[in-house]
Amino acid sequence: MNKVIKYLVRTLPFLFGLVVFLFFAFSYNNHLHYEEQLQMFLFTSDYWLDLIECPGGLADYIGTFFTQFFYYSWLGALIIAFLLVLLQQQISMLVNKIKRNELFAPLTFIPSILFWQLLCDENFLLAGLVSALLTLLAVQIYSFLKNPIARICISVVLLSILYWLVGGIFWVFGVLSLIFEWVYFKQFSKKQWLISIVLLLLFVALPPLVAKNYLQYPLSRLWWGLSYNRYPIVSPYPLLIIWLSLLIIPFVFKYLSTEMKKNIKVLCFTVQIVLLIFAGNALVRLTADWSKEEIMAYDYSVRMKDWNKVIAMANHKDPSAPLSVACLNLALSKEAKIGDCMFRYYQNGPEGLLPSFQRDFTLPLIVGEIYYHLGFLNTSMRYAFEAMEAIPDYKKSSRAMMRIAEVNLLNGEYKVAAKYLRMLQHTMFYSDWATKALACIGNEKKIDMNPEWAMLRKYRLEKDFLFSEEEKDQMLGLLFLHCPTNRMAYEYLMAYTLLTKDLNHFVQYFPLGKNLGYKEIPAHYQEALIFAWSNHSSDLEKTPWPINSAVKQNLLSYANIYSANKNSEALLFSGFSQTYWYYLHFRK
Amino acid sequence: MKLNIVHIFLSIIVFVSCQENVNSPSKIDKFPPIYPDYVGVTVPATIAPLNFSFPDETFDRVDVVIKGKKGNEIHVNSDAVSFSCSEWKSLLESNKGDSLLVTVCLKQNGNWKQYKSFPIYISKYPIDYGLVYRLVAPGYEVYSKMGIYQRELASYKQTALYENTLVTGSCVNCHSFNKTNPDHSSLHLRGSNGATYMNINGKAEFLNTKTDKTIGSFVYPYWHPTGKYVAYSVNKTRQVFHVAKDKRIEVVDLESDIIVYQPETNQVLTSDLLKTASFETFPAFSADGRTLYFCSAEKKEMTKEYEDVKYSLCSISFNPENGTFGDHIDTLVSATKINKSISFPRPSYDGKYIMFTLSDYGNFSIWHKEADLWLLNLADGSVRDLKEVNSDDTESYHNWSSNSHWFVFSSRRDGGLYTRLYIASIDDKGKVSKPFLLPQEDPFRYYDESVYSYNVPDFVSSPVKWDIKEMEKGITSKERTQVKIKK
Repeated sequence: MNKVIKYLVRTLPFLFGLVVFLFFAFSYNNHLHYEEQLQMFLFTSDYWLDLIECPGGLADYIGTFFTQFFYYSWLGALIIAFLLVLLQQQISMLVNKIKRNELFAPLTFIPSILFWQLLCDENFLLAGLVSALLTLLAVQIYSFLKNPIARICISVVLLSILYWLVGGIFWVFGVLSLIFEWVYFKQFSKKQWLISIVLLLLFVALPPLVAKNYLQYPLSRLWWGLSYNRYPIVSPYPLLIIWLSLLIIPFVFKYLSTEMKKNIKVLCFTVQIVLLIFAGNALVRLTADWSKEEIMAYDYSVRMKDWNKVIAMANHKDPSAPLSVACLNLALSKEAKIGDCMFRYYQNGPEGLLPSFQRDFTLPLIVGEIYYHLGFLNTSMRYAFEAMEAIPDYKKSSRAMMRIAEVNLLNGEYKVAAKYLRMLQHTMFYSDWATKALACIGNEKKIDMNPEWAMLRKYRLEKDFLFSEEEKDQMLGLLFLHCPTNRMAYEYLMAYTLLTKDLNHFVQYFPLGKNLGYKEIPAHYQEALIFAWSNHSSDLEKTPWPINSAVKQNLLSYANIYSANKNSEALLFSGFSQTYWYYLHFRK
Repeated sequence: MKLNIVHIFLSIIVFVSCQENVNSPSKIDKFPPIYPDYVGVTVPATIAPLNFSFPDETFDRVDVVIKGKKGNEIHVNSDAVSFSCSEWKSLLESNKGDSLLVTVCLKQNGNWKQYKSFPIYISKYPIDYGLVYRLVAPGYEVYSKMGIYQRELASYKQTALYENTLVTGSCVNCHSFNKTNPDHSSLHLRGSNGATYMNINGKAEFLNTKTDKTIGSFVYPYWHPTGKYVAYSVNKTRQVFHVAKDKRIEVVDLESDIIVYQPETNQVLTSDLLKTASFETFPAFSADGRTLYFCSAEKKEMTKEYEDVKYSLCSISFNPENGTFGDHIDTLVSATKINKSISFPRPSYDGKYIMFTLSDYGNFSIWHKEADLWLLNLADGSVRDLKEVNSDDTESYHNWSSNSHWFVFSSRRDGGLYTRLYIASIDDKGKVSKPFLLPQEDPFRYYDESVYSYNVPDFVSSPVKWDIKEMEKGITSKERTQVKIKK
């Protein structure tokens, strides 16, 4: 039995790591992509100095260093799994030093499970986990010192240094070292205990107060930590629970029994495993946000220009969030399907086409992509800039920086573009792109060798006007008139009028697209046109546009059911929910 | 003994090998392509070393010799140009009122080339202790980290006076001092803990400047020379955004008026002439405090007619004894006549000039590429384009030094987006020197890697003494002194 438990104890970390890896690599991978884009780790001394000058700087630096690898979600998943297993191993080493008890080894997974739960929140940063690892490393160093006086001196030094390196978690080192004195070393005299406790209190209270004299942060933030969460003001309790678990588990291990009957051992071990699995599953499910994961999945595919993947996702499950729908409409447009297919999916009005600007760090990044592909380059740059400035921890965004550099390059603002590109050259995953883009500075021929850039430079407006959230149709119209080959501008204009149920303008603008090379009028346009015609004439055969007879027939069937039944929405759903008419009548 | 000789010998070898003397340089008949462009600039004797670099050149070694016309010399032979602060200080001090001659040689592919020597002029006029400015990204509506910083001009030392990390979500702007005296200062804080922070001789007050009789909170400040009044504009402002590539942002006033605030009584003084249907903004007191200058434009339908809004430079008399205004407005420079728009009038403290920014339209000239600095001579009323300091890009927000012989201004010439600070001198005859970029220890790297623009630069004659703990307490307490309209 002991051999079985020993084997399981050795296997558990691997299994745990595998589960974590699979979770983040396959179920929650888009969260990792999302987090990667909200940082810009630079391999420069100034970047290092910028972070290290604040408490927790080293943890922040290492955390951000690792986060850049989320560029490949499988690599990010591997890193998270590794760090969580490392945390468990550190706890295990500490508890084994106090009292080896493999029977209760599963308890050493508790902090890692709690961190896993926290990491499901995209705003909880890796620095929090890294800081815990570094703190436990300090405890391990402490545990190797034999001389009590040396330990007291080292603990004072390490407390002060740790505050600067890892931030608010630093006091855990002090308390854990005292726990070690109590349950492991047992060498302190009463006087040494008194001195240690006084020094602990002093060197836990002092560093944030000293930092306050040099840094302009609220004392509460200097105390709880600056770099664990993207938001400056969050509840410290989730982290506090984890920090307490780092203290409680080693302490409790001292008192757990190693002697049990064989069947009790089995039961005990199994119960722990089962409880941890259930609790871990519940906690992760509680925190994991699958609706956000969906939006992030759409956004990532848009960012990677994988339009077919966006459409495949929608085919699998209709998106309903405006941002997801906006991504879908963009993909449909890029695949020349928007006119035929957009109402086969759930549409939530114009906000699902061109969402209105919001001052946050998510929406503008996504919506900026739409404006970019349309040819509203200045607007896409503005959105990228706003998104980057909205990041609450004041970090820069690699994705936004890339877009800003790109638009400046296309706009001929070469000096500004070069500045951003030089910055990106100091990153790991954007460096090559930046170097290639730098080679295009001042070289319009080279810029035009990129087909997307060449096309966007053609689409870009020359005649200025002011951006207006309330007049998007007019802006789209002006964009199209500037470059009548900008099919996306035309289709967005049409989509806008359809989504705002403005059939008069739809009919008015429709002829603008006559030279765009349509083999036949897109399905939804036919539906809208025939419906608009039917409002003026009952003779559907006399429409001035080539409408398919099937569409005409469909409208007649639809109209019959619609007019005959007061509550026809449910009746019409099965046969007509994918038509424009259904949207027109029943979607708000 | 033997050991000492060996030691000395080795030291000499090391020293010699680190020094690569200029050997038979080929002469290049043009100035060196240095960044920043310090060729022919005029600097004060106390300025920090003007380190420079060659971002467009690759080289193995650089050799710089600076000789003072009145004597003294600095020599740098290294892989970068970095002057010793003490040597630089000594060189400039000993050549005050005269000039330096800078000779630059570059070693490329094993060969030296020597560029045409260039002068740097050392002004006899002293400059103030430092500059205070805001650092903020050149964004649109959203802001991240920003702060008000103080920079000592004799060194590279920059200290934070207020950073918005102190109170989460806060925005700071429009810091202002009385004729460079930091003992009278005003600063706006926006956000949920908004206030106008006023500090007079160490006594701090947090004001709520919104009243039901004024359009909004206080905006653009200007101190009365006595320190007993502060003129502010009150504005309803909106930002709009350009779609075409050459422009980004337009900041327009939907309404604006001017008031004068009296700190002693917390009272707001108004005049019907300063709160008309027209747009009145950018107040500035004259050097003697008896005239209030401001910009005024005919109201237009905004944002439709934003390009038609052009501000004239106007004035109204002011009686500092009783805080009353004159009964008529004078127009000093008419926007209609010149078909341009004036913003940021800044009278020199010696009463000779008003410097202002001229742009095609509007008032937020920092986003106008065509914006330039102009100078109105108050003695004869002539205006001139300050061609000596203007560039093809934006020149805007400017302020005078306390002796009115230096001015600092923001410019976007360095790339087109990020504003940098330039300083130029003006002598007793009105001759303006070539401006120099605010020096940094490694200027190209510093400015290239910086993601902040310099806003609202102002000279300070001594270090600012804001009590940051008191500020934090005051901002977060939400207790405010309400300003009142004087009846």
